[in-house]
Amino acid sequence: MTDTPKYGSSGADQCHKAAPTVGEITDFEILEIALRELAIERGLFTADDHRRFTEFAESIGPAGGSRLVAKIWTDPAFKARAMEDPVKACLEIGIDWSKPTGFGTPSDYTHLTILENTPTLHHVITCTLCSCYPRPLLGMSPEWYRTTNYRRRLPRWPRQVLAEFGLILPPEVEVRVEDSNQKCRFMVLPVRPEGTENWTEEQLAEIVTRDCMIGVALPRPGKTADVHPVHKARRPVQSSHHEGAAR
Amino acid sequence: MKSKTIEKSQNNIGVLEEHPLGVQPRFKVGDRVQLRDMPYFFYTRSQMWARGVVGTIAALTYSDLVPEDEAFNVDGRVEQYYIVRFRQKDVWADYPFENDTIQTESPERWLEPIS
Amino acid sequence: MSSRTELSQEREIIGTLQPAIHLPQNWNYEVTGAQYRALMHPPHDVGGQFDFSIQHEEKEEEQWELNTYVTCEVLAWRGFWTAEERRRRADNDLGYTMYLGFPYYGRWIWSAARMLVDKKHFSLAELMEKFAEVKSRYEK
Repeated sequence: MTDTPKYGSSGADQCHKAAPTVGEITDFEILEIALRELAIERGLFTADDHRRFTEFAESIGPAGGSRLVAKIWTDPAFKARAMEDPVKACLEIGIDWSKPTGFGTPSDYTHLTILENTPTLHHVITCTLCSCYPRPLLGMSPEWYRTTNYRRRLPRWPRQVLAEFGLILPPEVEVRVEDSNQKCRFMVLPVRPEGTENWTEEQLAEIVTRDCMIGVALPRPGKTADVHPVHKARRPVQSSHHEGAAR
Repeated sequence: MKSKTIEKSQNNIGVLEEHPLGVQPRFKVGDRVQLRDMPYFFYTRSQMWARGVVGTIAALTYSDLVPEDEAFNVDGRVEQYYIVRFRQKDVWADYPFENDTIQTESPERWLEPIS
Repeated sequence: MSSRTELSQEREIIGTLQPAIHLPQNWNYEVTGAQYRALMHPPHDVGGQFDFSIQHEEKEEEQWELNTYVTCEVLAWRGFWTAEERRRRADNDLGYTMYLGFPYYGRWIWSAARMLVDKKHFSLAELMEKFAEVKSRYEK
């Protein structure tokens, strides 16, 4: 992490070491800077507000969800508590849905629902209207989840879309699409796979990847990462601990 | 300055609360309902794919403003929200798999009872 | 370039050559009921529409995109709008062409700017001046 100040009316362009030519910086970047500077100048919010929320955004990731699933798999009493009150159970594993504002994030709210898979029921999540996602638990959503392509096709051709992710389910299994269109946020609780008997929570959490908790993958011993092609950024986020999309 | 609508919508922690804020839910789990096909002006979160389809109440979730009000900063009526489950074969004429389902959330005013 | 690469490029372009009937729109005197519904349809309601099979890819986040996300959330945190208003503005108000044409976070920053101007936290003229001033910093 550099010490370069990122915010404030004179600091906004210090993100970029060399001044880019007009052709390199986009109007979106300029609008973002202009709006933020005007807002801070007018006292709508402070640079410190922006920094605090940025720290929150950089602190979230799928690890919280992985730990939640692993604990549900290994601790039946915890599972009962989690299915009864998921947000409260998240607190037990260190995920506080009320952060960073004290009343939750404006976009993610505080209503978590856990969708439990069984051998005959498989859930998969989309938000066809925008891209609602349980950020406090799973971090920022992957790009493919936000695309109109995924949102158009998953509700109507779920098995075809899942097949593109490498997941093919027999017709007897009920594929249940969750269209997350209001304030509930959802997480898939996958079936604990065979071959993981006597594993520790840490070992189990390692194979519960983000894709498993969206429902486009199943957890498997040995599979500890979601692999997708990555579109690189031109001027990526400058932070040593940013949990970006490329994981 | 804090928006009233933010405070209202953050009152409920957890899922499956019944009768929060004095709201009397009209439907219970298992009821058959149909999504009303009300005309859309400017904004709605009731999807085209679900309109006119008959489904089943799968859960009660929380009570809150309807999105058509909240999106315009109107402190309107707070009402119960539900997860409604549909058979995919009822949603899409050509859906080939018998067992598949789809579910989504709906505020109460968008639902009509089906006997 | 190999002939295999050329063939692959040619095949891709051929795939995009589709016949189309264009209906010019210039304040039609009348529209059918179905046309009316289609024109009124909220752009963000895409579930069930047709689309092609694609590679589902990740995207590395740009600095401006993270800043945009944070700005929009902070504006809601401080009470200037709710996330629901953001969705209404960013997913519906800008209309089909911009909804499909803009990058994802382009719609977010546009809607925040529009909201602040609509609610008179600064004027459009002030925003334009500031935009021009920021842009001039990069014209070296």
